[in-house]
Amino acid sequence: MMSSGRRALLVIGAGLIAQGFGVAALSADTQTDSSTVHSARAQAPFDPVGYWVSLVTQNWRFRMIVPGRGEYADVPLNEKAKALADSYDAGQDEAAGKQCEAYGAPVIMRQPTRLHISWASDNDLRVDTDNGEQTRVLHFGPPVATAAPEASWQGYSVARWIMHATSPLGAPPAPGAPTYGSIQINTDHLLPGLLRKNGVPYSGETKVLEYWEVHTEQATGDTWMTVTTDVQDPTYLRGSYSYNSVFEKELDGSKWDPEPCSLRF
Amino acid sequence: MMTRRFPVWCLCCLPLLLHAGGVAAQIDLAGYWAVESHQDRLKEGRGPLPADWSGIPLNAEGRAAGLSFAADSLEELQRQCHPWPVTYIVTGGFGFRIWSTTDHYGVANAWHIDGSLDRMPMTIWIDGRKPPPPDALHTYSGFTTGHWEGDTLVTETTLIKDSLLERNGAPNSNQETFRMFITRHNDELTITGIVRDPVYLEAPMVLAQTWRLSPAGSPNSQLDLCNPSETIEGLSDGYHFLTVLPGRNSSENFMAQHYNVPLDASHGGARTMYPEFRQQLMKDGYRPPSNYCTMNCCMGDVFGGGPKAVCDVHVF
Repeated sequence: MMSSGRRALLVIGAGLIAQGFGVAALSADTQTDSSTVHSARAQAPFDPVGYWVSLVTQNWRFRMIVPGRGEYADVPLNEKAKALADSYDAGQDEAAGKQCEAYGAPVIMRQPTRLHISWASDNDLRVDTDNGEQTRVLHFGPPVATAAPEASWQGYSVARWIMHATSPLGAPPAPGAPTYGSIQINTDHLLPGLLRKNGVPYSGETKVLEYWEVHTEQATGDTWMTVTTDVQDPTYLRGSYSYNSVFEKELDGSKWDPEPCSLRF
Repeated sequence: MMTRRFPVWCLCCLPLLLHAGGVAAQIDLAGYWAVESHQDRLKEGRGPLPADWSGIPLNAEGRAAGLSFAADSLEELQRQCHPWPVTYIVTGGFGFRIWSTTDHYGVANAWHIDGSLDRMPMTIWIDGRKPPPPDALHTYSGFTTGHWEGDTLVTETTLIKDSLLERNGAPNSNQETFRMFITRHNDELTITGIVRDPVYLEAPMVLAQTWRLSPAGSPNSQLDLCNPSETIEGLSDGYHFLTVLPGRNSSENFMAQHYNVPLDASHGGARTMYPEFRQQLMKDGYRPPSNYCTMNCCMGDVFGGGPKAVCDVHVF
């Protein structure tokens, strides 16, 4: 027979342990490693699949049209980058087959474009763009032991879910209850490219960190995806180049309009 | 017996009680936050270019109001100290401080964002209270309520005073509403803002901005003491309000003249936000300006320009 004092201690202990889990689940750095038992697709706290369209409400002149020579506002480029951009010749790069150099992972989400997002496999999220006809693959789950990926415009992206707390004490959500989270993406193995079509460069050493969040307004059902991008380039930037891009969810792919890369527009 | 069992269940609840504040405040947003995003720095610093509303879903009334705006009107004595409305948090490019207040049990009942130079402070009530009725006083801060969805603080602001959505004359009415999704990722805070205005906008305007935690404080997060003084002689006679009559706006073609941006684009409208508008511009034969940039060329370089300009000025 357990004494009431001992029982009380046990109860307190259990409670504190439970609270410990809860605090961990509610801290700002709450991040569930997606490399565990379930596939990324099964773990998804929101459904990214479908068609999305850019809402170009910010930096319009640098996104919707090709800015003029010397227009480098907003980009923390260094003098080396400025010198390169000043001497940029789109014709030369077109002749070299680099039409897609302004559509690389550091800036592809900045392009006015539609996205088609689908699961290529249980741990690979595929993102296609109609503008520039690019394909990104976000690799969730444990790293696959292969040779180092070849450099490309979209590079190699490692993704994981950041799961938000949904209930006190970090308990799993009730069936049918909404779940929340975001995607963290780290991208490298990039070919050198352009941050802007007027010649602002980024190097092959560039690394990109992104957070993708999806927000649904309960009253209207409107859904938006906000992408926060941090570009780090020790060669051409004086610091992190950070920007946001907003996408609106579309009902279907009826407005999907593939268009090849262009350095002229 | 009852007296012996009571303490046990009481103690059992203790961790839950200790935890209550954390449940209500899912993520700690408190701290100084400095602007991180490198976008629209010119717009946020010196202000947007004249008559440039590209990407803003203005309707015909909003466009007409914008074209009747006279920039000098902001120098009138009675207007010099007017703050910008609450939406300025995502369009203004300033840092801020966030903190919470709690009830007697330590449960957060509100989050507060301080004012920044020319934006009023705002309080986000998360204690379940309802906003006052629509005919209550409209202010530059408006009235804001919020709730948590996962780790995102979702807010809704109403009762906003009519003013300017952008400092180049794009208007906002007192029917405007403003929703924010405030999400923290480690040391970054991103706000997605949705502006709706049935009077001047034909579609919601969605904006986003990111700030970085700045333990040393944010240089722009303090209210400025505004002391109005006459900067343009004879401007403020107390009887007149500067405005521009229809068809007389000399800045209407500024974007076309300086950046080859057609009037159709700089006049704004919902269609200018979407990728297909870019294709329309292409069909219409847009060409980048042929001369080298002469103003606002580099980050922070407001006054300089030309190939010899130095691009390493960090601040506005």
